[in-house]
Amino acid sequence: MVSRRGFLKSGGLALFGVGLMGGIPSFIAEAAASAKYQAPYKKKKTLVCIFQRGAMDGLMAVTPFTDEYLKAARPTLFMSAARNANGNSLIDLDGRFGLHPAMQGFEPLFREKRLGIVHGIGSPNTTRSHFDAQDYMESGTPFNKGTSSGWLNRAVGLLGHDALTPFTAVSLTSAMPRSFYGDNPSVSINNLQEFAIQMRGNQAGANLAAKSFEDLYDQTASGLLKDTGKESFEAMKMLQKADTKNYKPANNVIYPTSALGNSLKQIAQLIKMDVGMEVAFAESNGWDTHFNQGAGNGIFARNVEDLSNSMISFWNDLSAYQDEVTVMTMTEFGRTIHQNGTGGTDHGRASCNFILGNDVNGGLIHGDVKPLAVENLEDGRDLAVTTDFRSVFSEVADKHLHISNDRILFPDWKGDQIGVMKG
Amino acid sequence: MKTTYKQLTWFCAIISVVIIFSSFYSNRESSKNTFLFPYKQAGLNERQAAAHLLSRFTYGATPGEIDEVVKIGLEKWFQNQLSGDLPDDSLNLVLSSFDALALSNKEVAAKYPNQGQILRMVVKDGTVDKDSVKKDGKVYRDVLQQYMQNNGLKPRQDLYRQFISQKVLRAAYSKNQLQEVMTSFWFNHFNVSITKNDCAAFIPAYERDVIRPNAMGKFSNLLVATAQSPAMLYFLDNFSSVGTKVTSGSTMSMAKMRKPKSARGLNENYAREVMELHTLGVDGGYTQLDVTEAARVLTGWTVYPMGVDTNPIERPGFVHEGDFLFTPNRHDNSVKTVLGASFGPDGGYQEGQQLLNMLAHHSSTAKFISGKIAIRFVSDHPSEKLIDKMAQVFRDKDGDIKQVLIAMVTTSEFWSATSVREKTKSPFELAIGAVRSVHADIKQPYQLFNWISRMGEKMYYYQAPTGFPDKGQYWINTGALLNRMNFGLALASGRIPGVRVDLIALNNHHEPESAQAALRIYSQLIMPDRDLAATIKRLTPMLNDPELIKKVDVASAKVSAPQADMDQDEVKTKVLGNSTMLAQVVGVILGSPEYQRR
Repeated sequence: MVSRRGFLKSGGLALFGVGLMGGIPSFIAEAAASAKYQAPYKKKKTLVCIFQRGAMDGLMAVTPFTDEYLKAARPTLFMSAARNANGNSLIDLDGRFGLHPAMQGFEPLFREKRLGIVHGIGSPNTTRSHFDAQDYMESGTPFNKGTSSGWLNRAVGLLGHDALTPFTAVSLTSAMPRSFYGDNPSVSINNLQEFAIQMRGNQAGANLAAKSFEDLYDQTASGLLKDTGKESFEAMKMLQKADTKNYKPANNVIYPTSALGNSLKQIAQLIKMDVGMEVAFAESNGWDTHFNQGAGNGIFARNVEDLSNSMISFWNDLSAYQDEVTVMTMTEFGRTIHQNGTGGTDHGRASCNFILGNDVNGGLIHGDVKPLAVENLEDGRDLAVTTDFRSVFSEVADKHLHISNDRILFPDWKGDQIGVMKG
Repeated sequence: MKTTYKQLTWFCAIISVVIIFSSFYSNRESSKNTFLFPYKQAGLNERQAAAHLLSRFTYGATPGEIDEVVKIGLEKWFQNQLSGDLPDDSLNLVLSSFDALALSNKEVAAKYPNQGQILRMVVKDGTVDKDSVKKDGKVYRDVLQQYMQNNGLKPRQDLYRQFISQKVLRAAYSKNQLQEVMTSFWFNHFNVSITKNDCAAFIPAYERDVIRPNAMGKFSNLLVATAQSPAMLYFLDNFSSVGTKVTSGSTMSMAKMRKPKSARGLNENYAREVMELHTLGVDGGYTQLDVTEAARVLTGWTVYPMGVDTNPIERPGFVHEGDFLFTPNRHDNSVKTVLGASFGPDGGYQEGQQLLNMLAHHSSTAKFISGKIAIRFVSDHPSEKLIDKMAQVFRDKDGDIKQVLIAMVTTSEFWSATSVREKTKSPFELAIGAVRSVHADIKQPYQLFNWISRMGEKMYYYQAPTGFPDKGQYWINTGALLNRMNFGLALASGRIPGVRVDLIALNNHHEPESAQAALRIYSQLIMPDRDLAATIKRLTPMLNDPELIKKVDVASAKVSAPQADMDQDEVKTKVLGNSTMLAQVVGVILGSPEYQRR
C-alpha cells in the first residue's frame, strides 16, 4: 500500500541535480563526500512533534466512559458512547475508552493500528503552572530549570551524523520553541514563502539584492558568516524551485486553514522536498479550557477537530512517505476530574497523547488509567501520572530515529519503555 | 599601661595614614582618569581605537561619533559612560508620553490584569453570564472590552508594548549608552521571561528598579535586589517555597497569608539557579546537597500580596520592604550548611542575606561573572589570563562592576586583533545599530521589535533562566541570516512602518550621482572604520549594469503608489527622494557580512 520510491525516481534528486544554479548544493555534496554518511539521497526518517499548549483535557479527548466517578464529576461535560440523537456520542474504541466525536477521522487510523494513544501520561514534577510544565517537558528535565537545551535539539545531536542540511530540525513557529534551544543546528520558520530576499513587489530589486548579498557573503573573512551565507542561499533557492506558494497536496487533501493546519502543510512540503529534515515541530493553541469547554460542540470540540483534521490531512498528503514519518502530540498536563463552576476544567496532572505512524504499536490505549475514585487520584483530585512522558518520548525517538542515548536525551531519567512502538 | 598607650598611638597613626592615602587615591580616581588604554601597542590608531570602543560599549556609532570620542579623549569618554549621568532630556521627553512606565508593581497589577483574571472578574461581577462565556466570539470580546474600559483596566499587551518600546528608544537614543548595554547584559544574566504569566507584569519594574540602577554598582547589591524582586521570586518559584521544619513564628495566622496552590513545601528552583546561573557557575563547586540546603535557607522569601490591603506588616521576624516579604512562618528554622558555612538556627531573614553575600563574594563567582563580561565585551573566547585578571579585581574591589570593566579595557587583549570586530551583533544590536548608523527617526519602536524577533531575539520572551546565549554561532543561522539581510533592505527603503530614514540628509543633502558613488559614500558613512575596498570592488560591476538598474527602477515604479497601510510618515519617506537604487545600496550595506560584526 505504501510505495517506497527508489532514490533515482525521487523528486528530490531531480531538484538537486538539474534545476539549481550551482548544481548540487554544497552541503549535500559535502555529505556525499563525508565518510560518516554514505547515502546522501536516502530518505530520512522524520519525527514531527505537535505541542498542544494550554493543557489538553485528556479525559474529554479519550474518555473512560464506563467510569461512574467521572460521570458524576462532570454533570455537563461527560459524554457516553451510547448513540443518541444529537450526535454527542463518543466513538467506542475498546469498550472502555471513547474518542471524542469531533475526532472521528482518527477512528480508521486507530483501527488500522497506525494510531496509538497513551493515557495517564505526564510529568513527575507536580507543578500545575503552564509555563513550568511546558518548560520541563520541552527541556526534558522535569526537576531542573537551568537546562539550557531542549530535548529535540539534543535529539539532533544524537542522530549519529553531522547535520547535513540547514533543515535538519525545523520549527514552523514564529519564535524558536524551548524544545529546540541548544547548540545543534535548528531553524524556526514562520512561513516558507518568507524564506527569501524580499522587496515588496519589486522582484528585480530583490534579485539584485540577493545576488549582491550572495557575492558579499561568499567573500567575507568570517567563516561563520561565509558558511551560513552559502547555506542560506542554497536553502532559499531550493525552496524557490519547489514553488511553495502554489503547493498542491496529494490526494486532493485540503488542510484546515488553522495555524496547525498551515504548519503541518509546510512540514509536508519540506518532507516531500527531501531537504533532509529529521525533526519537525508545530504548535496548537487554546487548550486552557477553564470556561465553557463544551462537550460534543464548543471550544474543546473545535480544538480536537482541528487537531485531528490537521493530522489526518498531513497523513494523507504524505501517503507516499508514511513509512518515514511519525507524528507525536504532547501537552504540558491534563485537567481536573471535576468540572469547575464555569463549565470548564482547571489545571490537573495526567493527560493523553497521540502517536501516528507505521512503526507505532497502534490500535491500543497504552498506559494505566485506574477507576477515578478519589483514592486513585493524585492529590485527591487529578488523573494520576502513571507514564512518565520521557518514557514515551524516548521510545519514539529510539524506534523512529534510532536515538538510544537516554543519558543525553533525558538526563536524570532511568525508566522502561512501555511498547508504544513496534519491535 | 604605658605600652598599651604607645600601641594605641601607633595604631591611630597608621589608621590616619591609611585614611589620608585612600581618600587621596579615591579623589584622584574621581577627578581624573587613572587608566590609559593600551591601543597603540596593539597597532591601532586613535580613530580605530575609538571605533572599537564604540562597538563594544554602545549600540553602535552614530555618524560622526568617532570624531566626537577622539575629541573628548577615549579614556575620558569611557569615564563619562561609567558615570552614566549625561543629560538625556530629549529621550526623557519622548518616554514621558508612555503612561505605564512609572507605575509601581502594585499599580500594574491593578491596571493590567491578565486574561484569566479579567474573565474571573466579569463572571464574579455578573457582567457576563457564566454560561455564555466564549459562546459568541465577537459579542463576547466587545463585552469584555467595555467592562475593561468602564473599570479603567488595560490589556496586558499594552504594558509589554510600552515596556519594549522604551527599551528600543533608550538603546537607540540614550547618551548613556553603557548604562543601557549593561542593563541588557544583567537582565540577560538574571533572566526572567514574559512567557511566564505569573512574573510577566512585574518585569518592567524589574528592569527599571532592580537592574538599571544597579547595572554599574556592586554585584552583591544587584544579586540581593534580584533575589527580592517579584519578577524573580515568581519566575523561579521561590515565592512558593515553604520550609518543612517550621518550628516557630507559626502564631501568625496562615489564613491571612493565602497559601499558593503549589506551596506544598520546598522549591529548589531559585536556590539551584542562583548558584548555577547567577553566581558560582555550573562548575563552581557546589553539590545537590548545597542546593537543597540553600533552598531551606531561602524559605520564607516571598512577594507581599498586592491585591489585598497592603499595610506594612510589623511583626517580629517579618521583613517587608517594597514588594518583598520575608515571612518567618514559612521559614525553616533549623541549622543548614551551604558550601561548608553554617546558617541558623533561628537566623530568620538574615540567613538569606548571609547566603547571598557569601555567594556574591565567592571566588567562583568572581571568575564566572568576569568570564561572562569578557565574552560580552571582548570576544567569544576570551583568554584565561584576561578572565583571571578581571576576577582578581572583582575580588579586590568587592565586586565593583565599574572596576572590573576598567580592568578589562586596560588589557592588551581587549584591543588586540583577536578581539576587534570578532563579536557578532545580536539581532537587537543589529537593529539598533542600523537605526543609529542612518540616524533613523523611530515613531513606532514596536515595529523594530517585530523585526528583532523575526531575526531570532524575541527580547524579554526567552524562556530559559539562562538568558540568550552570547555567541555568534547562536545568532547566525540560515533563517535568521536571510532575515538580517531583509531587515537592512526594509529599513533603508523606508518599509518599516513608523521608522523614518532620510538617506539624502545623511549625506548632507547631497544626492550621489551614481549607484557606484552611493556605494562608496554610504559605506564610508555607515562603517567609517572599516576597509571596505573588497566589498566595493565586489559590488561595483553589478551596480554598473544599466539594464539591471533600469529593471529595478521599472519594477519599483509599479509599486510606488503608497500602500493603504502606510502612515503619513511613510509617504513622506518616499517623497524625501530616497531613490530606489540608493535605498538598495544602503540596504545591502546594512545586510552585508561586515555589518553583522562589531
